[in-house]
Amino acid sequence: MLHGASAMLGASVLADSAVEHYRGSFDNPGMYTPLVVSAVTMAAGIDGASGQWLPRRMRDGMYALSGAVGAIGVGFHTYNVLRRPGGLNWLNAFYAAPIGAPAALSLAGAIGLAADEIAETSHPDRLKLFGIPVGRALSAFTALGLMGTVSEAGLMHFRGSFQNPFMWLPVSLPPIAAALTAKAAIEPAGERDGRPMTRSWLWLTSAMGIAGVGFHAFGVSRAMGGWRNWSQNVVDGPPLPAPPSFSALAIAALAALRLRDLEDA
Amino acid sequence: MSTSASPHDPVTPRAKDGRAPDVFVPDGWVPMRCHADTEEVDFAIVGAGAGGATLAARLAEKGFSVVCFDAGPYWRPLEDFASDELAQEMLYWTDPRITGGADPIALAGNNCGKGVGGSTVHFSMVSLRFRPEWFKSRSKLGYGYDWPVTYEEIAPYYDQAERALSISGPVKYPWGPPRGPYPYRPHEVNAPGLILGRAADRMGIKWCSTPLATVSAPHGKSPPCVYRGYCHYGCSTNAKQSALVVWAARAVKAGAEIRDMAMVGQVETSADGARATGVRYHREGEWRVQKARNVVVSGYAIETPRLLLNSATPKHPNGLANSSGCVGAYLTTQSGPGVWATFEEDIRWSKGPPNMAVTEHWNYTDEGKDFHGGYAFMSQGPLAREWGQNLATSRGLWGEDLQRGMADYNHTMGFVPVGEVEPRACNTVTLVDDEFDQYGLKIPKVTFSYSDNDKRLIEHSVKFMGHMLDAAGGRDQWRNDDTSHLLGTCRMGDDPRTSVVNADGRSWDIPNLWVCDGSLFATTGGVNPSLTIQALALRCADRIESLARRGEL
Repeated sequence: MLHGASAMLGASVLADSAVEHYRGSFDNPGMYTPLVVSAVTMAAGIDGASGQWLPRRMRDGMYALSGAVGAIGVGFHTYNVLRRPGGLNWLNAFYAAPIGAPAALSLAGAIGLAADEIAETSHPDRLKLFGIPVGRALSAFTALGLMGTVSEAGLMHFRGSFQNPFMWLPVSLPPIAAALTAKAAIEPAGERDGRPMTRSWLWLTSAMGIAGVGFHAFGVSRAMGGWRNWSQNVVDGPPLPAPPSFSALAIAALAALRLRDLEDA
Repeated sequence: MSTSASPHDPVTPRAKDGRAPDVFVPDGWVPMRCHADTEEVDFAIVGAGAGGATLAARLAEKGFSVVCFDAGPYWRPLEDFASDELAQEMLYWTDPRITGGADPIALAGNNCGKGVGGSTVHFSMVSLRFRPEWFKSRSKLGYGYDWPVTYEEIAPYYDQAERALSISGPVKYPWGPPRGPYPYRPHEVNAPGLILGRAADRMGIKWCSTPLATVSAPHGKSPPCVYRGYCHYGCSTNAKQSALVVWAARAVKAGAEIRDMAMVGQVETSADGARATGVRYHREGEWRVQKARNVVVSGYAIETPRLLLNSATPKHPNGLANSSGCVGAYLTTQSGPGVWATFEEDIRWSKGPPNMAVTEHWNYTDEGKDFHGGYAFMSQGPLAREWGQNLATSRGLWGEDLQRGMADYNHTMGFVPVGEVEPRACNTVTLVDDEFDQYGLKIPKVTFSYSDNDKRLIEHSVKFMGHMLDAAGGRDQWRNDDTSHLLGTCRMGDDPRTSVVNADGRSWDIPNLWVCDGSLFATTGGVNPSLTIQALALRCADRIESLARRGEL
């Protein structure tokens, strides 16, 4: 499940960065990097989730690469914002390289690495990441990831003036899911009710990520020429691949909850 | 493409027989309530631009019966507007006029419009508010004249206009009283705008993305702007929130009738001269008279005084509403000298709306000036034909030099200010007694000269913009001269002896005769006037409603 989430996040990054960096005419050759690396992450995720033909060390190398490139990408995007006239301001936050976006690659890598750790052990309930029980660590991590994605969607939907009321959804549903997941990360052991509330919000968030593609497709239709002019409007309209990153993170959080249940038991 | 009347057909109207063109659908129609000439409507409005169409929409929404006349066509942007600079000159008012004075204003270009929507159909969409002090510039800044309204009275109508037009602007506007974000977010700033930003950052002055009346996200049936760059020649996507797309559409929906291809020649008055009774207009080859309880003149700063002067009767020998002698006087424009430079980098200034970044530094800074008044200036984006004409006529390039100049088109960039001009009685719109237009109406003569103060402001702006271009790394600087906007020929005031109308736009002489357009401006300020014209129209509509309620119409 975690490998799958990694693959899904990798796919989302691949499609999104392909469209956005194409829009930026691959002005800097470094802009090809996330395409290659997210494809590698996706491959690692698919491999991990299915046959595991690759040796674990190789898969982990791929995930680690993803984690590192994501972090470097955040650096590059920050540099891109700061060097523009006006520096750090709303205009550049809206239209320069999105600072938070590459972090999704790091998330995908980290989730993948955790997945392999868990698969390796026969006692996942005793496994620790950075000295923290893995279920708690992953819950906290995915909650943070969800909130990062919420800020990204919030910024972009603010740029779109929340012109459609449904644009409020990704800034209202996922924060609740993230808060409940964070609560699962920090609450004392012994919760054994299966956290149905947290799970429901995460499933809702996951479904919203898929529905988001539909909403964004509708957004594309409202641009001049609509879908008949897809070659321009898919590039300039609301990004079709962006919303499923919510689904990927929600699924990872659900997996983390399962580990939390083991730890509680 | 269209089976209806061609927009180029000079006589056949589109808006009649119970329907008007649907501006959002090629060949489409919307139902329109129509009135007989003999039916006395509440309001006859002359001109369907920023003033008239706005007022028509709001009055109709308040339940008044309204007929709004426009001398030009009722456009359908999606089918009528082409990416062709020359063909799109059909949007201008090209009827015969005479221009004179020491600094004659170029007419029949971007400072006029003929057709529903008026000049907002081809305006650059810059939607700035007045600096609050300008409404009382005599009392607060020591020059010009006080308006009979305050910024505080107009501010709610600025808000209303900005919401109605979904103005796309900065989250936090750097000048003026603090207020919230614009209704829509700013557009991505194009390369010339970023050069302005770069220069401003280096010189330590504030700049921002220009608040524009073109949407950055979908709004109703308007798609977001596609940055085609033909804004000065009619927006063919309807992203531009012109009076045609916003107010005329709202007016018709609310029950107003808009009569296109209808040139009003006279405001009719009662025998005793005390009341306006309707308008005499030319449509489909004949003169007709529409009866009305109130007449509003919204023809902009040349046609509005011209109509009032052309409506003279023995009771009003100097023209209607003209006991002050101010009809046609105090004409102002806004100075717009351009400073241009060539850059190494690729700029491609034809992309996107023409004025994407602005600095109002010299509107809000009073120190360091050797003149009264202010100016804003913006990055520019002239299209190729317009630029070629500028190089040939202003820079004097021809032949091989012109070719070389045009080869630098994608590497050129410049600034043009919107400079405040002193309102002076000697700058006028008058009638030419022995020359007549195609309708047999006396043509107007526009007389304009800059004052010494105006010239000092121009030189200050040229010098400062030159420093900015230097700071940004531009070379081979040169300048030209131009103007934009026409204002002030029926100014509002508190004193019937020195103004044509009161704060509501109601004439002092004839209580059911009103003016609602840029001619109301007592001073011009250093910003583009369209937003203020619309704010005044929105206020006027509310005032009319409350006057009607009190039985004071």
